[in-house]
Amino acid sequence: MYIKGVGMTKFDYSTKPWWDIAYRAAIEALKDAKIGIESIDAIVFTSMSSAAGGEHQTHKVSFLSELFKTNVPIIEIVSVCGGGGVALWTALRMKGFKNILVLGAEKFADNRSEIVVDWILSAAEKIYEQSEGMLFPTQNALVWQMYMEKYEATMDDLSLIAFKNHQNAALNPNAYFYEKPLTLEKIKDSPEVSSPLRLMDCSLSVNGGAAVIISEEETEIEVIGSGFATDQILTFGREDITHFKATKLAAKDAFTQAGIVVKDIDIAEVHDAFTSVELISYEDIGFAEEGKGGELIRSGKINLGGEMPINVSGGLKAKGHPISATGLAQVYEIVHQLRGDCGKRQVNNPKIGLTHNIGGAGGSVTVHILKKIK
Amino acid sequence: MVFYKCLKCEKKWQHPVDICPFCFSILERVKTTKAKVIAKSKVSIPSLMHPKVPYFALVLEDEKGIRFAYKSIEEKMIGEDIHFESNINDDAVAIWRNNYDLLDSIEIISELLGGFNLNSKSKILILPTLVSSTHDYLRDNTSTEFLSAVITFLHDRDVKEIKIATQSFDDYEIENLAQKSGILDVCLKNKIVPFDLSKGAFVKKGKIEISKEVEEADLILNLSILKSGKGSSTENVFKLINKENYFSLKYLYSEEEMVLQIKDIKNIVSIGEAIYPQRVDKFPVFRNLIFASKNSVNLDAVFNATGLVNQLPKYLKNIDISNIPIVGRGILEVQRNIDILL
Repeated sequence: MYIKGVGMTKFDYSTKPWWDIAYRAAIEALKDAKIGIESIDAIVFTSMSSAAGGEHQTHKVSFLSELFKTNVPIIEIVSVCGGGGVALWTALRMKGFKNILVLGAEKFADNRSEIVVDWILSAAEKIYEQSEGMLFPTQNALVWQMYMEKYEATMDDLSLIAFKNHQNAALNPNAYFYEKPLTLEKIKDSPEVSSPLRLMDCSLSVNGGAAVIISEEETEIEVIGSGFATDQILTFGREDITHFKATKLAAKDAFTQAGIVVKDIDIAEVHDAFTSVELISYEDIGFAEEGKGGELIRSGKINLGGEMPINVSGGLKAKGHPISATGLAQVYEIVHQLRGDCGKRQVNNPKIGLTHNIGGAGGSVTVHILKKIK
Repeated sequence: MVFYKCLKCEKKWQHPVDICPFCFSILERVKTTKAKVIAKSKVSIPSLMHPKVPYFALVLEDEKGIRFAYKSIEEKMIGEDIHFESNINDDAVAIWRNNYDLLDSIEIISELLGGFNLNSKSKILILPTLVSSTHDYLRDNTSTEFLSAVITFLHDRDVKEIKIATQSFDDYEIENLAQKSGILDVCLKNKIVPFDLSKGAFVKKGKIEISKEVEEADLILNLSILKSGKGSSTENVFKLINKENYFSLKYLYSEEEMVLQIKDIKNIVSIGEAIYPQRVDKFPVFRNLIFASKNSVNLDAVFNATGLVNQLPKYLKNIDISNIPIVGRGILEVQRNIDILL
């Protein structure tokens, strides 16, 4: 399958309703694809909004039918932070449809942070983990602490990841931190939220939408690999706590399908819900050997201008993380990078890009590989 | 900690599934008693479930290699063993967080209070909360699964003589309430016929007339379903008093006086069910806790403190919970404002 069009909203604290966010992302993708909604044969939608807004809606497919004045099949998929990737993975496997709109939107940050966090936590295990104080930063802090102990990694490596992503976001008009770069000192000095992770190791929960139109019709960008794997929700019951098995499996599947190896990747959007997750994912995807993720960030190879830039969009960390829309926004970035129209953050002539999207604390992971063929 | 193991495949589950999906064997329930800290994080951001910060989120590993999460207000060191002391003091209150397996929670809470000293000759009177003809999920009455777990707990300890009884202080017939709430079904499945205490004899003890069943039982298990802003455990103990006697004393004296009178009943342990306790406005809220104490008033005071409830009956208002010995989980470990969200 091929990518025909992409769209996204700016990631921010918009007070617009979820459907308006979805609509605007879809319209941009349709315009980009140069087709009207009548050319869309099916829609795959992903969302988990809203935290506490009075507009909570569980029959979103019918709502979208109303907005788009269409009666085509609309499927809703929820896989929390990994929803965008899972929606794309599903759409790629749907037979008999010429053009499929894959759409994600969240109106999520709409109340005090305690309420929003409580809603986000519905993506984690309630009885054994949440009840015992495991917030998402806490789970990842503990994973990182055990990683640090195993591989003698340091917090400075995470600071470099945050710094890189904030530098990149400052160049991305759709990012929350556009034109607002942060200094390394500010990152290092940010308060601890759950030791050893600091505020600036955490991604930014925002509102936003993203859309991707896939097509049977050949375009300039082909999806050459698509992998999806899951893992148990009890983070600490996993065989190896310091790595995400689902990432390893999804990446292996995607690379096998694509018939390429890791070094063929020119650019990647890696799920950085926490800076530690980005570092561990370098190893799980295969960009670095086990325990060598720190070396990769220190080498500068993955900075903008390096051999294989990672998260040039600013990532979840600084572009923002509107939960289900994130995976599709990653595809949006790679598509524009492959087209070569990213302005100041444009990577030098990339041919193959990768997206990596995680749901929960490693519970559902997709990896997609996109290739510029024209 | 309890987990479930397939003896054939060696696979383990923390969630209480009963059949292995690979070989369809019935899983074995395995208990572990000791665990040590393998990782810790100091959490500084408050959340609805955990408003008191900082606290420490720990990863524990037991002797069988099972890892699980654990919250502590006190800092623990990596490698430190986590274990729980029991306390046989009559005023002690045990707090435990239920992990789906009510039987496990009841076993632990019994150990925390030094055990209930049960054997094949023990005579047990179970006093369920039975106040309305509603389904379990509204949390008005002792839930059927809680009553089942208590009966299983007693059977596992070879207890043969189990009676289940209460009385209604309203106009409802106990038999009707038992039937509609599902409690009758649980009783009959266990070959126990529940009965109405009001139809039996009462004996005078000081100012109160107590059911004769109290004298005949070695142990009374007061199964209170906890409700915010109330002394649910204590109110359920009142059900052992003759109805007319209760109302006349309440009219002549006060509830505080009634509380003093029931303190003479020594062979009673209250076990408070707070999986989804009702808020003051009667909406059930997820708390997932179990409380137990030989002192029902202390239990009620501690339960309300864990929900930050201020609207209390007079006899609970003046209790200083800092003087109550707590075993199991700490008050601050489980405390959250019960009025915020469901």
